[in-house]
Amino acid sequence: MPAPPPKSVEALRSDARSQALAGTQLPTGELVRRMLALTWKFRMGCVRAVVAQMLLLTLALSGLKLSGIGIDVIHHAISPDAPPPRWPFGFAPPGQWTAMQQVLALVTGILLFALVRVGLGYINTLLQERLVQDIVVHLRASVYDKLQRLSFRFYDANESGSIINRVTGDVQGVRMFVDGVIIQGTNLLLSLSFFLVFMLSIHKTLTLFCLATTPFLFTSALIFSRLVKPAYWTNRKLFDTAILRLSENVQGVHVVKGFARQKQEIEKFSVVNSAVKDQKQFIFWCISFFTPFTGLLTQINLAVLLFYGGYLVLAHQQDPKEGISLGEGLWVFAGLLQQFSGQIAALANITNSVQQSLTAADRVFGVLDAPVEIESKPDAMPLPRAQGRVTLENVSFGYKPEDRVLHEVSFDVQPGQCVAIVGATGAGKSTILSLMPRFYDPDAGRVLIDGHDLRDVNLDDLRRNIGLVFQENFLFSNTIANNIAFGHPSATRAQIEKAAKIAAAHDFIMAMPKGYDSLLEEKAGNLSGGQRQRLAIARALLLDPAVLILDDATAAIDPQTEHEILTAMDNAMRGRTTFVVAHRLSTLRRSDWVIVLENGRVVQTGTHDELMRIGGHYGKAAKLQLADAESIRLLGMDPADPPASTTPLAQPFEGGAA
Amino acid sequence: MSRLSAPTSMNTKLKTLTVKSENEEIEVEERPLDFRLILRLFRYTRPHARKRNTLLAIVVVRSVQLPMLAWLLAEVIKGPIAHFKPIPDILYGALTFLAFAVFTQVVFHFRMRFAQELGEAVVHDMRRDIFTHLQALSMSFYNRTKLGRIISRMTSDTEAVRAGVQDVLFVSMVQIGQGLVAAGFMLYYDWRLFLLLLGLAPIIWGISSYYRKRLGHAYRVIQESFSRVTSTLAESVSGIRVTQGFVRQEVNARMFARLVEDHSAVNMIRAKHTGGLFSLLDLNSQLFTAALLATGGYFILVSSAGDHASQFEQYGNLFLFFAMSNLFFEPFRVLGAQYNAALTAMAGAERVFSLLDTQPDFIDPPDAIELPPIQGRVAFDNVQFSYQPDRKVLNDINFKVEAGKTIALVGHTGSGKTTIINLIAKFYLPTAGRITIDGHDITSIRTESLHKQMGIVLQINFLFTGTIMDNIRTGKPGATDEEVVEACRKLDVLDLIAALPEGFNTQVGEGGRSMSLGQRQIVCFARAMLANPRILILDEATSSVDTMTEARIQKALSVLLKGRTSFVVAHRLSTIQQADTILVLDQGWIVERGTHRQLLATGGVYASMYRKFIHASRA
Repeated sequence: MPAPPPKSVEALRSDARSQALAGTQLPTGELVRRMLALTWKFRMGCVRAVVAQMLLLTLALSGLKLSGIGIDVIHHAISPDAPPPRWPFGFAPPGQWTAMQQVLALVTGILLFALVRVGLGYINTLLQERLVQDIVVHLRASVYDKLQRLSFRFYDANESGSIINRVTGDVQGVRMFVDGVIIQGTNLLLSLSFFLVFMLSIHKTLTLFCLATTPFLFTSALIFSRLVKPAYWTNRKLFDTAILRLSENVQGVHVVKGFARQKQEIEKFSVVNSAVKDQKQFIFWCISFFTPFTGLLTQINLAVLLFYGGYLVLAHQQDPKEGISLGEGLWVFAGLLQQFSGQIAALANITNSVQQSLTAADRVFGVLDAPVEIESKPDAMPLPRAQGRVTLENVSFGYKPEDRVLHEVSFDVQPGQCVAIVGATGAGKSTILSLMPRFYDPDAGRVLIDGHDLRDVNLDDLRRNIGLVFQENFLFSNTIANNIAFGHPSATRAQIEKAAKIAAAHDFIMAMPKGYDSLLEEKAGNLSGGQRQRLAIARALLLDPAVLILDDATAAIDPQTEHEILTAMDNAMRGRTTFVVAHRLSTLRRSDWVIVLENGRVVQTGTHDELMRIGGHYGKAAKLQLADAESIRLLGMDPADPPASTTPLAQPFEGGAA
Repeated sequence: MSRLSAPTSMNTKLKTLTVKSENEEIEVEERPLDFRLILRLFRYTRPHARKRNTLLAIVVVRSVQLPMLAWLLAEVIKGPIAHFKPIPDILYGALTFLAFAVFTQVVFHFRMRFAQELGEAVVHDMRRDIFTHLQALSMSFYNRTKLGRIISRMTSDTEAVRAGVQDVLFVSMVQIGQGLVAAGFMLYYDWRLFLLLLGLAPIIWGISSYYRKRLGHAYRVIQESFSRVTSTLAESVSGIRVTQGFVRQEVNARMFARLVEDHSAVNMIRAKHTGGLFSLLDLNSQLFTAALLATGGYFILVSSAGDHASQFEQYGNLFLFFAMSNLFFEPFRVLGAQYNAALTAMAGAERVFSLLDTQPDFIDPPDAIELPPIQGRVAFDNVQFSYQPDRKVLNDINFKVEAGKTIALVGHTGSGKTTIINLIAKFYLPTAGRITIDGHDITSIRTESLHKQMGIVLQINFLFTGTIMDNIRTGKPGATDEEVVEACRKLDVLDLIAALPEGFNTQVGEGGRSMSLGQRQIVCFARAMLANPRILILDEATSSVDTMTEARIQKALSVLLKGRTSFVVAHRLSTIQQADTILVLDQGWIVERGTHRQLLATGGVYASMYRKFIHASRA
C-alpha cells in the first residue's frame, strides 16, 4: 500500500493547536446512544454481516472437524490400537465402506464446504465494505452539508485542519463504532463461544488447561496498545516538529542565507532529528518484546496441548470412552487453539476502537449538533431586488461577548452612494462589512436594507443582493469561467464574459492559453494579485448586486498594478451602493463620503475634502501619501486639488446595472 | 512489470468543486531494481555495520529455526503420541518443543528490534544529509522547487527507503530460507507428497500476483480520489466566506455528496479484489488439506497396504506436511509484496539521492578570503545576468556606491530591481562583469563572511515559529535580551511590540500568520537592526499597511537605513524621496539615475511615472 501523502505544513500546525480545542463535549452515554442509533439505522447491513460471519465460521469449523475425522479414519485403519473414529450427528458411513472410501467421502465434504466458503467469503467482504461505505458516505455528506451552513463563529473557533479532519478521519472513527465495535464485537463474542463450546465438547479439562494463558494474552495485548499508541503519537508530534523546521528553513531561505544562519539551522534540525530517532527506540523495544511474547504464549498452549492432549490420546486408546482421539481430538484442538488466540488479541483491539470512536463521535456530532446561528426566519420576507439603502442603527458587536469590537455605530447610506471606511488595523472596518451580508448578527442595534431589518429578510435573497470582494479573495482550483460563475452556476458564457469585461479581466483571460477554460492552480498561484482581484470583482458583478462590498481590494497589490484595478472598481461601482475599505488615497478620493473608525467607534465622517480640511488623524495619514508641493512644482503641475464635484457623488444613479 | 493505465476515477465526467491541473507533474511510485542505488543504500548501513552483520546472521538462524519448530511439533505427534508411548516420552517431547519455542522467540526479538533500529538509523542519517545538503544549495534551486517536493524527500521517500532497508532484504532472506528448508524436510520425508504441494505453488503465486497488481492499482486510484475529497474539503473550508456570501451551500453539498459516492465506489473495487484474494487463498489452503488427506490416505491405505511400518511412517508424515506446508507456501505470498516494497524503495532512494547530488550553482573557491570588516562600498562593473541562458535580465549595469548611502531601485515588475539585490546578496553570481565590495571581488570572498556583515529584509517578512524575541535574535545569535530590546528602542517600536498579547514573548505562527503585516515588518526591521550590518538590502512590501501604522513604519525605516549602505527596492514615496540615489530600471537597463529632485527636473521616465501617480491620487 502506498505511503500516505505527507501532511501539509498548515495541517501540522493546526493539528497542534486543535488539540487544545474542546468540542461540544457530549457525555459518553449520549455519544454511545447516538452511535447506537446510527447502528440501528444500518441494522440490516449489520445483521447480514453477523449472519454471514457465523455461517463462515461454521463452515470453517466443519471443515476442520472433517479433516480431523479423516486423520482418525486412517489411524484406526493402520493401528488396531487406535479406537474407531467418532462420526458426528450419526452420519456414520455404511459399514461396508473401506477406509479409503471413507477418506474420499470426507475429502469431498471438505472440498464442498471450501467451495461454499469461497463464494460466501467473497460476498461477505463485499457486504461488509458496502455497509462501511454506506455509513461513511451518509456521514460525510451530512457533515459537509452542515459545515456549509454553519455560521462563521464556528469557523472562527476551529482550525481548518480540525474541520477537515471531522469529515475525513473522524467520520471513519464513528463508522468504526458500527463495524469495528458492534459487528466485530458481536462476531468475536459469538465465535469465541463457538470455539469454547467446540473445545469443551472435545474435552473440558484440556480446554481449561490450554486456555490458562488467555488472560495473559488479553492483558498483554491491552498493555501493548496502551504503551505503544501514546508513544507513536509522541513520535508523530516530534516528527512534525522536524518537518516544521525543514519547511520554515526552506520558506525562510532568504533569512537563513542572508544572515548566514546555516550552521545554527543544521544544529536545530539535528536536535529534533535525533529526538525522533531516540524516542523510536522505546517503540521498537515494545514491538519487539510483545510480538514474540504473544507468539510464545500461543506456543505454550501448544506445548500444554501436546503434553496433556498426548496423555488424553493415550487414555482414549485404553478406554474409548475416556480422553480424546488423535485427529478429531488433538489435531482439531490445535487448529482451534491457534484461531482462538488470534480472536483474543482482536478482542483487546476492540477496547481501543471504542475509545477512538468516542473521541471521533464527539467531534462529528459536535458539528451535526452545532446550531446554525444565522438562518432565515420561517416567515422571512423575500427580497428579489434591493434598491441598496443600507442603514446601521446603534450597532454594537463583539466576536466574543466580553470583547466588543463595534460600539453603537450608526450611519445611513443612500442607494448608489460610495462609502469609504478607514481606520487602523482592528478598528472594526471588516467587522462592519461582515454584518451586511449577515455573516454575523449584531449584539445590539439593527442593520437594515431598504429599511428592513436584515433578520426579517430571506437570507439567500439578501446575500444574492450583495456582491463581495474580500481582501484576500479565495478562488477555487477550477476553471476561470466556473470561478466567475460561482454564485450563479448556470450563467451563460456571454454573461460571464460581460462581467469579466466590466471588471477589466477579459483581456488577460483571453491572453491565457485556454481563455475562460484555463484552470487555476491551488490558491490561484498562476495569477498575479491584480488578476486575482479582478476575477473576484467579476465574480461579484455577475450577480449584478445592489450593494457592493470591497474589503481592501487593493491592499495586496503594488502601486504599478493598482490602476488596473481602479478602472475595474470604477466600472463596478456604477449604479450600486458601494462600501470600500481602503488605505490608498487614490481610492479614498473616489468615495462620496468617508467614515473614520477608531477602536470600533465612528470618530469622523465627511467627504474626503472636508476631512482633509479638518485635519485630525485622517488628514495626517492621508498627507503621508500626498506628493509634496515641491515635487509638484518641479513637475510643473497644477498644485490645486481638483474640485469635489468631479467625484462620482453627483451621479449616483447614472448608468444602469451591468 | 506491466503498468495498468490509471483512470483518475470511476466517473471522469464528475462535476467537482475543485479540478486538479493536468500539468502537475506526477512522481513515479516505483522504479526497477538498480544495482548502483542498492549499493549506495547499502553504504548507509556501513556506520551500523555490527548491527547489520548480526542481523544477517540472525536471519540465517531464523530461516532454519522456523521449519525446525514445525518439525518438532510434528515429531511429538507422530512419534510418542501416535505410537501411544508412555507419558514421560510425551512430556519430554512437549518440553523440547517448548524450549525450542522460547529460543525461537528470543531470536525473533532481536531480529525485529535490530531491523527496526537499523532502518531508523539509516533514515535518520539520510534526513540529516538531506537537511545539511539543502543548506548548501543555491537560491535557484529554491526558486524552481516546490516546498511540498522537498518535504516529500524527507517524509514519504525516506519512509519508502526505510521499508526497503529494514524489511525487504531480511524478510526475503528469512522467507526464502524457511521455504527451502521446509522443502528439504518434506522432500526428505516424502517426495511424492512434496511434488503434489509443488504443483499447488504456481496457483498461489498466480492468484497473489494477479490480485497484487489489481490491488496496487486500486490503492492508487483510491488515493487519487481521496486527494480530490480532501482538496475539495480544504477549499470548502478556506472558501467558506465566498460560499456563503454567494449562496452556494447547496450546490457544493450536492457536488461533494457525489464525490464521496465516487470515492466509495472506488473503495468497493478494492474490496472486490481483497475479497477475491483472501477467499481464494483460503480455498487454496483447504484444497491442499483435502489433497494431502486424499493422496496421503491413498499412499498409506492402498499403496502400502500390509506394510505396517511404512504405513505408520507415512501416517506420521501427514502431520509434518500439515505443519510444513504453511512455511513452504508463505514465501509465495510474501515475496511479491516485498518485491513491490523494493521497487517503491528504489523510487524513493533515487529521488533522495538525486537531491543529494544536486550541485549548488557555485561554491566558494578554495582560496576564498575571509572578508575583513567592511565600510560598505559597493560597485557594479559591467554586470550582466540571466536566469536562463537565452534571456538576459540585466544588461551592463554600472554603478558605484559610497559607504553609508541609500540607493532606491525603481522600475516596473520585471525591470531587474530584485535581480540586482539578489546579486548584491550573492544569492546568484553575475553572468558577466564584476561586483566588488570595498574593492574585493564578490567571487573571491567567503560567502558566509559577507552575509555576516549584511542584513536582509524581504517583502515576505518571514518569521519563524517561536517568540518575537527569538525571531529578532535570528539577526545576531547569542544576543542578550537587552540587546534585542535596545534594537527595538532605537527603531522606536517598543510600544508596538508591547501592544502584542505577550510582548516580546508572543508566539509567532508559521510564516507570522497570526500577526498583521505591519507588525511583521517591524519585527523584520528589528532583526536587521540587531544584526547592525554595514550593507542593508530591503525589498519593500508592496502591500499597503493601514495608514495609521504606515507613519510608524516610515519612521523606523529611516532609522534603520541611516549610516549603512542600503539598497531598497522601493514602493514608498517617502523612501524614494529620501534616497541618495535613485536608479530607474527598465528591462534590465539603468535608464536614469539621480536624486528625486534631479530626476523630476530632468523630466524623463521617472518624472512621467511620478506624474501618473499624482494623477491617480487626484482621480
